[in-house]
Amino acid sequence: MSDDMITEGMLDMFIFETEQGLENLQNICLDSKDAGEFDEDNVNEIFRIMHTIKGASAVMMYQNIATLSHKLEDVFYFIRENQPDNVPHEELVDDVLEVSDFITNELEKIKDGLESDGDSTELIERLSTFLDKIQGNVPAETVVPVQETPLQETPRFYIAPVASDDSRFYSIFITYMKDLDMANIRAYMAVNSLKGIAEDILFTPSDIITNPESSNVVLEFGFRIALQTTEGPDRIMELVNSSAGIENIEINECTSEEFLEFCVEAETPVATAGEVLTEPVKTPTILIDSQKPQAVKEQMAKEAEAAGAEAVNTEESKKEEGTPKKAPVKRPAAKKGEAQSFISVNIKKMDLLMDLIGELVIAEATVLQNPDLKVPGLDLSNFQKSAAQLSKITSELQDAIMAMRMMPLKNTFQKMNRIVYDTSKKLGKDIELEVIGEDTEVDKNIIEHISDPLMHLIRNSVDHGIESNEERAEAGKTEKGRIILEAKNEGGQVWISVSDNGHGLNRENILAKAKSNGLLGSRSEKDLTDKEVFNFITLPGFSTKKQVTEYSGRGVGMDVVVKNIQDVGGMLDIESVQGEGSTMTMKIPLTLAIIDGIIFSVADTNFVSPTNSVAEFIRLSSDKLIVEPDGEEYVMIREEYYPLIRLNKFYHLNGAVDNIEDGIVVVLTHEDKNLAIFADKLIGEQEIVVKPIPSYIKKVNGISGCTQLGDGSISLIIDAGALVRA
Amino acid sequence: MRILIAEDDFASRKFMLKFLSKFGECDVTVDGMEAVDAYLMALDAQTPYDLVCLDIMMPAFDGYQALKAIRDIEQERKIPEEERAKIIMTTALNEGANVNKAFDLGCVAYAGKPIDQAKFESVLKKLELIP
Repeated sequence: MSDDMITEGMLDMFIFETEQGLENLQNICLDSKDAGEFDEDNVNEIFRIMHTIKGASAVMMYQNIATLSHKLEDVFYFIRENQPDNVPHEELVDDVLEVSDFITNELEKIKDGLESDGDSTELIERLSTFLDKIQGNVPAETVVPVQETPLQETPRFYIAPVASDDSRFYSIFITYMKDLDMANIRAYMAVNSLKGIAEDILFTPSDIITNPESSNVVLEFGFRIALQTTEGPDRIMELVNSSAGIENIEINECTSEEFLEFCVEAETPVATAGEVLTEPVKTPTILIDSQKPQAVKEQMAKEAEAAGAEAVNTEESKKEEGTPKKAPVKRPAAKKGEAQSFISVNIKKMDLLMDLIGELVIAEATVLQNPDLKVPGLDLSNFQKSAAQLSKITSELQDAIMAMRMMPLKNTFQKMNRIVYDTSKKLGKDIELEVIGEDTEVDKNIIEHISDPLMHLIRNSVDHGIESNEERAEAGKTEKGRIILEAKNEGGQVWISVSDNGHGLNRENILAKAKSNGLLGSRSEKDLTDKEVFNFITLPGFSTKKQVTEYSGRGVGMDVVVKNIQDVGGMLDIESVQGEGSTMTMKIPLTLAIIDGIIFSVADTNFVSPTNSVAEFIRLSSDKLIVEPDGEEYVMIREEYYPLIRLNKFYHLNGAVDNIEDGIVVVLTHEDKNLAIFADKLIGEQEIVVKPIPSYIKKVNGISGCTQLGDGSISLIIDAGALVRA
Repeated sequence: MRILIAEDDFASRKFMLKFLSKFGECDVTVDGMEAVDAYLMALDAQTPYDLVCLDIMMPAFDGYQALKAIRDIEQERKIPEEERAKIIMTTALNEGANVNKAFDLGCVAYAGKPIDQAKFESVLKKLELIP
């Protein structure tokens, strides 16, 4: 148990709440950009968000954030109370987004452990002028003046500790040899030796110095210490163990709650020797209130509400564009009850659970396939029944944890909305973004990995993909520039595609560039399929764009995108029709940790290949094997040629089958390429838990990880992609 | 300004004493019970404390209990809001739940250990305890 397992600290909570608020804020802004104004609910919502952020940042003593959010709150207070008619909406949206950017930026600094030193005065001034301007628009007599809302009703401050708080809590239990004299003094010596490293220390019995009788208590029931320190357990052990007569020392790391409980226990008076501790320790009087702060609950309720209302909301606000007087947009009643049933869990706890279930799957396999069961004549019918039940439960458990880790792509997609808005505005292009399938769920880890590449693809589409308004007119394209962001499930994978209706990729340009970079090698232009040509743009340093813009064109980018996608075991598929647009599709596995694999052996070594990359197994006669003069081997299967890799030669394994007719050929596919590998025999199919190769082993070509099999042996996981490239 | 420090750990106590002495006259207690006693005595002698700094993990009475006791006494004696002691918790327990609990019990500030002296001072300024 480490420190991170403790519920979020004050700072984490502040960052979490503020980020949620800002995200909400951005969504409101972007949703309302077509409506041309904020409706009443939006104004209220923004006001509420800024109020919360203001309060929280004042408590945390981030003055720059507090004053800025206070100012924006003032602006929305004015809008709420006076409902001025001609608010320049676009300007307001820009200002709100800029405030949100400023705060996000400061949060990043805080997260990195830096001082939040951004200067918000310029932004505040801008907001002030803006406020003056809209105040001028309203007839003076009806104006409800902006009240100087007091910064904080009752002052509350949180002074964050100087350094990052990395002290840990330990409970220590020491027993002494039964014949030891003056155990109380020995115990006190142990406490004394710990004082040097202790930030806080408590012990029981607590009267060891004043009461000689406590010696017997220590001997009989042991001596317990609660310690808060930045040192590790080894150092503690070293210090405690310096005095003689110690029989046993137990050191356990504990959470601060347990520590606090222990403190209370420690204070329960330990009266005289003999009757002590025979009655159970009273339940501690201090109960840590684990209730989530109200703000988080509200946040969740709001989100659920927003999710339900969103679709309706945009539709309706569009309809109302024409109506001169603003009628508040009706939202469906929020289902507050539902939102309460969510809890937020630290991702580390989920990772731990995931790891444990992985271990459980391995342990299950070792039990069920235990060599001890292979005694001939053993009646295993009852065992098999129970085993089937166990397998069922573990696989359900796996599904459950997977489902827990799944998150909808919604948040990621919404960020893209902002990017399209910003980029297209700056480039003066008229582009709309359509989002399909934002409810598709993907493993949390994967979401983190695809956010950057996705952003890059979207920028590419806005910048290069879609032509400027003039070019579009010239090309006779009447519709608006449009980007479609789509996610869907496709057989154990998630496909996320970014399509635009721009000018598409130019095969000739790419070919010319590839030729000048010497990428074609011995192949002639005509041999290359469109896909192969388009794949050139994913190579490092490859850009056909002659001009570099702020957003893209430097030729770094697509290679990074592809690398990021490959890191999570996915691939990028490029399709394009010149003049009509292009589609980039990321194909990503649903999850990383536990996969189905097919096991085969070569000599004494087991290899596993993920089931979805195995196309077929086939036993071939020797006339299907073609050997080139340079030693390269090919096999012919149904009139098609596949390059053959013999794993025994590739990895220098002795004692493997050599004759093609005695072994088995496994056809692997990767990104439309096929490859045959030659193994001795198939072992079976099993769920495998992917583990990284230990760091003391050098990177091995073609191996992406390892796993433990049911009989306890280690098996290497074949990376089809790497072998195809080899 | 009169300051009361309750802190059971010797090193922290010495630090707090040294740090706060420049702002006013400091009294020091080693547990929560003693802190409440000292607070009562000062109140009876008509020289109440302006600032009370409470550690949370202390023997006898912990910081929460001391905080609550002090606020209860003030309530009972009908001491007006503005004359009540400003109480700052000083502790290494930095979880949100603990902090909120302390705020709910009526402390004005919550300082995580190790204490950030500059921020601590700026809070004292905001509380108008020092100019």
